[in-house]
Amino acid sequence: MRRVNPRSPHPVRIVVDDDLRRSRLTVLFRLILALPHLVWITLFGIAAFTLAFVMWLAVLFERRAPASLHGFLASFTRYAVQLTAYLSLAADPYPGFTGSRPYPVDVEIDPPAVQGRWGAGFRLVLAVPAFVVSSTLGGSVALGSGYGGALAGGVGGLTATVAFLGWFASLARGRMPRGMRDAAVYAIGYGAQTTAYALMLTDRYPDSTPGMVQPPPELPTHPIAIGVDDDLRRPRLLVLFRFPLVVPHLLWLTLWWVLVVLAALAAWILALVLGRVPRALHRFMAAFVRAVTHLSAFFCVVGRQFPGFVGREGSYPIDLTIALPAPQRRPGVAVRLLLAVPAFLLASTFFVITLVVGILLWFAALVTGRVPGGLRDLGAASLRYQAQAWAYALLLTSRYPDSSPVLQPAPPEPEPALLELTGLA
Amino acid sequence: MKALRLAVYAALVAGWIGLAWLLWGSVVPDGLVLPHVDVDRVFGAELVARTERYERFLLILWALGIVVSLATLALYARYGGRFAEESAAGPLGTGMLLGMVGLAIVWLTQLPFTVVGLWWSRRHDVSHVGYLDAVFGDWLSLGATFVSVCVALLVVMGLARRLGSWWWIPGAAVFTAIAAVGVFVSPYLYTGLERPDDPGLVARYQRLERVEGLHGVPLRVERVSENTSQANAFAFGLGPSRRVVLWDTLLDGRFSDRQVDVVLAHELGHHSREHIAKAIGWFGLFALPGALLLMLVTRRLGGMGNPRAVPLALLVAAAWTLVTTPAQNVISRRVEAEADWRALEATRDPQAARGLFREFAVTSLGDPSPPTWAYVLLDTHPTLAQRVAMADAWAARRSR
Repeated sequence: MRRVNPRSPHPVRIVVDDDLRRSRLTVLFRLILALPHLVWITLFGIAAFTLAFVMWLAVLFERRAPASLHGFLASFTRYAVQLTAYLSLAADPYPGFTGSRPYPVDVEIDPPAVQGRWGAGFRLVLAVPAFVVSSTLGGSVALGSGYGGALAGGVGGLTATVAFLGWFASLARGRMPRGMRDAAVYAIGYGAQTTAYALMLTDRYPDSTPGMVQPPPELPTHPIAIGVDDDLRRPRLLVLFRFPLVVPHLLWLTLWWVLVVLAALAAWILALVLGRVPRALHRFMAAFVRAVTHLSAFFCVVGRQFPGFVGREGSYPIDLTIALPAPQRRPGVAVRLLLAVPAFLLASTFFVITLVVGILLWFAALVTGRVPGGLRDLGAASLRYQAQAWAYALLLTSRYPDSSPVLQPAPPEPEPALLELTGLA
Repeated sequence: MKALRLAVYAALVAGWIGLAWLLWGSVVPDGLVLPHVDVDRVFGAELVARTERYERFLLILWALGIVVSLATLALYARYGGRFAEESAAGPLGTGMLLGMVGLAIVWLTQLPFTVVGLWWSRRHDVSHVGYLDAVFGDWLSLGATFVSVCVALLVVMGLARRLGSWWWIPGAAVFTAIAAVGVFVSPYLYTGLERPDDPGLVARYQRLERVEGLHGVPLRVERVSENTSQANAFAFGLGPSRRVVLWDTLLDGRFSDRQVDVVLAHELGHHSREHIAKAIGWFGLFALPGALLLMLVTRRLGGMGNPRAVPLALLVAAAWTLVTTPAQNVISRRVEAEADWRALEATRDPQAARGLFREFAVTSLGDPSPPTWAYVLLDTHPTLAQRVAMADAWAARRSR
């Protein structure tokens, strides 16, 4: 089997050149405007998936895709990316019908390369985990187009939630929230890689590492941050018994939750009076949010070690940093639960993503004793959003959750070498 | 200090003996001689041979399972400490993890025996449980077992970290208190119990209740006939939570009303003689030396406050349970014999009792006269032959 250097750039790369501005008029009628595209991508999809079979045979025998077929299927993938971006409000302009014109959320696909026969032969079987993740993220209309269910099969999960919430936000402000746009772009990128893998455009497996976008998305500072300081090894025995192992924690957290509800009520009243949450209450609730995150990380195999029961900061490799209490505006405190509804809608989507990631990691760890880093990081990013949503609802912060699926800030641009500066390179 | 230690030990031994003497009392007449029962004549030679075949296989399976689980725990005691690296939960949490992992490994090693035992029971039409149901349900129920072991380790390790080598005295007391609370609340947590829909059964039950000197102990029926053809009943709870539960397999027509009455009277006998409270007392009496043994054995690993002692503690606990099982079975059989006697006194129907015990051999394929080693190690009830003999003895005394 051909080995792939995981550090080399993925042959299918998502590229973003979007200014977040949205036309309220086209946003209002977005679905209706997209109707011709939905009809067209269904027809386009039938042709593409039929030709994908020819492509499969070609790769199986020749180990390389014919350039013409590759070009056709790449155009289809690109078109699907553009349409998905348009539908999910990750981009604003009306897309073309051929996938040949540049678009604010676009995809670069490398020319045909040599592929392994074994990987090609069992491509559809191998792609099952990627399909599962992709359908949870809902990042590709293409995957639903083959059977005419573009909306039902392709845009669901994360992109559907983002599109739903982004629709209101864009209508109100004329701008798409950056975090939501980045979340949709991430999902679309993964969907594009899955489509390309399934259509034999590449034999490189889709990479679920959050933030694999050009240019790298921002990671704004937030009072609730997650840190990942864990290796990828997982002892199989502890993986096999993951569920029964967390039962004592679940009972404990259920009891703790009852006290947290009372504490949150007290914090709400005191924050309305004092304009801030008293430190003792803040510490008590922060420990709970941290303990839930530690346990969720362990349960979903995102974290390796068995977590403690008290949510102590720095006690777990997938850890949550929660800033000290800060002054909060009273009107925001008064209607906090109402304001948190959209965040919880998105958090519930991230919860589903975490569960799906957990199931896949469970199988992967049971078979190989390791977890894929990209999927682990996606789980960690999903946990972070859920923690931010809970922290916001429990008045631990007044900062709204940030849905950008980025774990680490982008590395700084390398300094130009002296030879480049002097023009001698 | 040594004198104090000796005085404490002496007081505990004296208290232990005194309480054991109090709990040992029974209404079965002293010196009751059970007549010999010809099992082939009473149960039928063919049935006896069949039950022996059925139970022999299960006994061998049990013995193998015990050997494997002890060997597994011995290996875990040697190497299990390395799982401490997989914990970020501090000493108490790490101890809990090590306890749960140990049980999980034992569960895995027992899985083949569970499956083979189920195959054997299904082959003899005693069980109807599916393999997946058994394995997966067992896996899920591990969670409840893990909670119990976590609570136990929390008590032991918490006390050991505070009290050092004296933890075992309050530890045994706390365990006994937890057991009492568990026994009290278990009827409220037990799901799937229904009120009996046969007014005749309820009327007979209430009459027996009065005869036994009880009032207001609810009768419930548990539906198990989808999973097994075995017949069973049990009494549980304390004070206001007391219950008597009949499996619906007792009410499917295979047993006569008179035979069911014997069962009801037997279970009510447990309540009227306070057997459940006494069982808690016995639990405490066995927990005390067990905790002492744990303390002594784990001392060289830093005591029970050290999570790395937990794997060894599991081995000691398993060995202690196995070693004390014969003694516990003697007590259990004595208690069950007393309940049988109470049932005979309440129903005054030894014929029904004889028929009931014979039918138990048919429905559960229980060997009426098992090998001595199996009787000593496994039988919590008198053998069916002994129970028939007790019915005969009761009839003989009455006819005198």
